[in-house]
Amino acid sequence: MNFTRRYILHYICIVLIIVTSCTRFEAVRDPYTLYIHISAEPGHLNPITSNEAIASSINSYIYETLLDRDYDTLELKPQLATKWEISPDKLRYRFYLKKNIYWNDGKPFTADDIVYSFKVIKDPKVANAPLKVYYIDVKSVKKLSPYIVEFTYAKPYFLALEICGSIPIVPKHIFDDGTDFNTHKNNRFPIGTGPYKFVAWNTGKTIELVVNDRYWGQKPDIKRIVYKIIPEPNVALQMLKKGELDVMSLRPIQWVRQTNSNHFQESFYKFMYYQPYYNYIGWNARNPLFKDKNVRKALTMLINRQAILDSLLFGLGTVVTGPFYIHDKYYNHDIKPLPYDPVKAKEILRKAGWSDSNGDGILDKNGIPFKFTLTIASASKFAERLATILKEDFAKVGIYMDINRYEWAVFVNKVDKRDFDAVTLGWSLSWEGDPYQLWHSSQVKAGSNFCYFVNAEADEIIENARKEFDAQKRIKMYRRFHEIIHDEQPYTFLYCTPALVVVSKRFDNVLVHKRGLNYTEWKVTTQ
Amino acid sequence: MKYYILKRILIIIPTFIGITFITYLMIRLAPGDFTSLRAGVEGELKAGSLSKEIFEQEKKLYGLDKPVIVGYAEWFYKTVKLDFGTSRKDGRKVIAHIADALPITLSLNIFSIIIVYIISIPLGIYSSIKKDTLQDRIISLILFLLYSLPSFWVALLLLKYLSGGDYLNLFPLGGLFSDWFDQLDIFQKAADLLWHLILPVTTLTYGGFAFLSRYTRATMLDVINQQYILTARAKGLSEQKVLFVHAFRNSLIPLLTLMATMLPGLLGGSVIVESIFSIPGMGMLAFESILSRDIPIIMAITSISAFLTLIGIFLADIMYAIADPRIRLEATQ
Repeated sequence: MNFTRRYILHYICIVLIIVTSCTRFEAVRDPYTLYIHISAEPGHLNPITSNEAIASSINSYIYETLLDRDYDTLELKPQLATKWEISPDKLRYRFYLKKNIYWNDGKPFTADDIVYSFKVIKDPKVANAPLKVYYIDVKSVKKLSPYIVEFTYAKPYFLALEICGSIPIVPKHIFDDGTDFNTHKNNRFPIGTGPYKFVAWNTGKTIELVVNDRYWGQKPDIKRIVYKIIPEPNVALQMLKKGELDVMSLRPIQWVRQTNSNHFQESFYKFMYYQPYYNYIGWNARNPLFKDKNVRKALTMLINRQAILDSLLFGLGTVVTGPFYIHDKYYNHDIKPLPYDPVKAKEILRKAGWSDSNGDGILDKNGIPFKFTLTIASASKFAERLATILKEDFAKVGIYMDINRYEWAVFVNKVDKRDFDAVTLGWSLSWEGDPYQLWHSSQVKAGSNFCYFVNAEADEIIENARKEFDAQKRIKMYRRFHEIIHDEQPYTFLYCTPALVVVSKRFDNVLVHKRGLNYTEWKVTTQ
Repeated sequence: MKYYILKRILIIIPTFIGITFITYLMIRLAPGDFTSLRAGVEGELKAGSLSKEIFEQEKKLYGLDKPVIVGYAEWFYKTVKLDFGTSRKDGRKVIAHIADALPITLSLNIFSIIIVYIISIPLGIYSSIKKDTLQDRIISLILFLLYSLPSFWVALLLLKYLSGGDYLNLFPLGGLFSDWFDQLDIFQKAADLLWHLILPVTTLTYGGFAFLSRYTRATMLDVINQQYILTARAKGLSEQKVLFVHAFRNSLIPLLTLMATMLPGLLGGSVIVESIFSIPGMGMLAFESILSRDIPIIMAITSISAFLTLIGIFLADIMYAIADPRIRLEATQ
C-alpha cells in the first residue's frame, strides 16, 4: 500500500508542477525592437574570416567599408570614403576617408585600420581562403595620410574599384593585440562603425544589436535588432504568426500554401524579389557523352524547364539562358530559352550518331550506351525531385540516368575533383559579375570551371572585358559571351528563383529595392 | 575482486585509444574538409570561390596536410592534458561549446529518464500482475503505438496545436527560456524552464515507455515465478507485501544495471527534437560538427562519450559482480 501511495503522491506533485508552470508570463514587447529569423547560427562575425551569408547580412549593419552599392541603382557610392581617384593607368586607387568616424568603442577610424585589414587578409596564417581569392591581384595598400589610402593593383581590372572599395575593415586597435586572429575574442564581439552596434550573443538563441547613438549618418528608427536562431522553418513560421518574429524568408510551399489567409495578409507584407543567383545542370565535357555541344543541346531540349518550375517551385522563378544574373545589365535578353521538344531532341541525337542499334532500349554510339550518373547534394529536396523527373524523361528517349546522392561535404569534394558525369547546383553571384573564374579555360584545373568549358572566343572576350573600363563596351562583349554560352550549352541553365520574404505590418516605409530590404529606413508604426 | 577491478580499469585504456583512433581515421579519410566547405552552402556555391592553391594553404594551417598518425598523436597528446582545442567554425574553445550544450542536454535527458521510469515501472508491474488479461494487452497496444510514432511528426503536431499561431496557445514554441527570463525570481525561473521543457520532454519520452515497461514486466514475471515468492505467499503475507517487498525489490537489480549503461546516453542529444524545438544541445552540436568536418569538436564529443561508455560498462560489471556471487567467483579465479 505504502508504495502505491508514494507513487500517487509523486504524480500529484508532478501535476502540480505542470499546472503552476503553465501560468504564462506576459512581458510587454518593445515596439522599437525588430525580430528577424535566421535558420542557422553564424560561427562568428568577423567580416575578414567569415563568409557565411548570415554573418555578412548581420555584419552589414555593424561594419562599413569604403564604398557601398546604392540600393536602387546598384552603382557604387561613398560610405566611409568621401571620394576616390583612379590613376590613368588604372592601377592605383586612392580613397579619401571621412573624418570624425568612430568605432563603437570611441576610438577614431583612420587609414591605419584599412592598411591593417589588408595585411590580415593577405596573411597566410589567417583562415579566409574564400576572401583571399579576391585580393590576389591587389599588390599593396599604403597610407598616404591618416585619411588617405592608396591601393595598387597588379593589372588593370574593371572590378578593381569595387574590390578595393569593399574591403572588409576591422579596427586595428582591437585585433592587433598579438593574439591569434582566427580565434580572436572580438570575432564574436564585433566593433564597427555602422548604424548598429553589437550588444549580446546568446549562443544558439539570439544575436542582438542596438542602434549606434554616435552613428555618422541617418539614425534608424528601429532601436534594437534581435536575430533569433530557429532551425526549423515550420516552427519559425508559427512564431511569426504568433508575433514573436517580424521578418522571415519563406520556402516556396509556405509562400503558396500557408500564408494566404486574410488574417495573415492583414498582419504581414509579402515581398518577392530577385537576387543574383541561378541554378543549373552542369555536363562534364570531359565525359565522351557530353563532348558534343549538340548532345548537350538535345539534353536541354529534353528537360521541360517551365513545367518543372511550375510543379516543383510553384512557378516562383524564371527560366534563364546564360551565365549572368537575369536582372544584370550584361544579361542578353534577345536569347530565348531552348524549347522543350523531345522529338527534335531525338532527331539531334540521331544526327550526332546516337541510336538504339542493338534494340536494348538504350541509345548507343560505337558500342557505348548512353548511360550516366547525375550527382546531387542529398539535402537538397529540389535536386532530389528534379533528378527523379529527369530520370523518367530521359528514359523515354533511351537515355539511362542514375542518381547519386552525397552529403554536402562529399558533394563539394566530388565537384572539386571533377569526379562526376553531370551535376546540379546553383551559383550565387555578386552584383557585378566577372565570368573569369567560372568560364575561362585556365580555370578547368583548379578553378570553378569544373565542366571543362573551353572556347577560344569566350576566353578572348573574358580576358579583354577584364581590362575594359567602358561599361557600354563591356555590355556588348558580355552579351556576345552569353550567346556563345547559349550555343555551347555547357550547362542546362535552370532558374533564377526569388527571395520570398514576409515582414510584419508593425513597420512602415518597408521598401523593396533592387538590392533587397533595408531595415535602417523602416519606420515603427505606433498605434 | 581487487585484481578484477584493476584488470577492468587497465582494459579501458587501450579500448579508449582504439575508439578515438578509429574515429580520427574515419574523419580524416572521409571526403570533404572544413576549408573547401566554406565555398558555399547546401546546393549553392559562391561564384569564383574555388581556388586550389589558397585552399591548400589554409588546410596546412589546420594540420590537414600531415599524415593521419601524426595528426592523431598530436591530438592525443593535447587531450591527455585535457586540451580539446578550438572549434574550426567560430574559434571558440571546444570545452566552451560543450559547457554550453551539455547542461541543456543533461537536463532534458534527466527529466525524460525520470519520467520514463516513473511511468514505465508501475505500468510494467501492473502488466505483470495482470499478465495476459485485457488490461495487459491494451497497455501493450498503446505503448507500442506510441513507440511507433515518429518523433518529428509528433513534435510538429504538438507545436502546431498547442503552441499558438492558429490553434491553442498553451506552450512556448521552442527554446528553453523566455526572453524575459532574467527578470524573474528563482521560482518563476524554475517554472519558466519547466514550461519550456514540457513539449520537448514529452517528445523524448513517449517512445521510451514501451521498452522499459516490457522489461519491468519480464523481470517481474521472472521473480514472481520463483519459489521464494510462493513461500512468501504460503506464510500468509498480503499480496501487496509479496509484490512490492519481495518481488519488486529483486526485480530492481537488472533495472539498476540498465541505468549504468544509460550513463553515456545522457550526453547524446536528439538532433530532431533539438532542431524542432530550437534547443542548442549536444545532438545539434555533434551533428553540425560532423557535417562541417569540425574535427576538434567531433573528437571531443567522441572521446567524452567513449570514456563515459567505458566507465558505464565498468560500473555495470562491478554492480553485477557485487550482486551476483557467481560472477565475483569467476573474476577471482
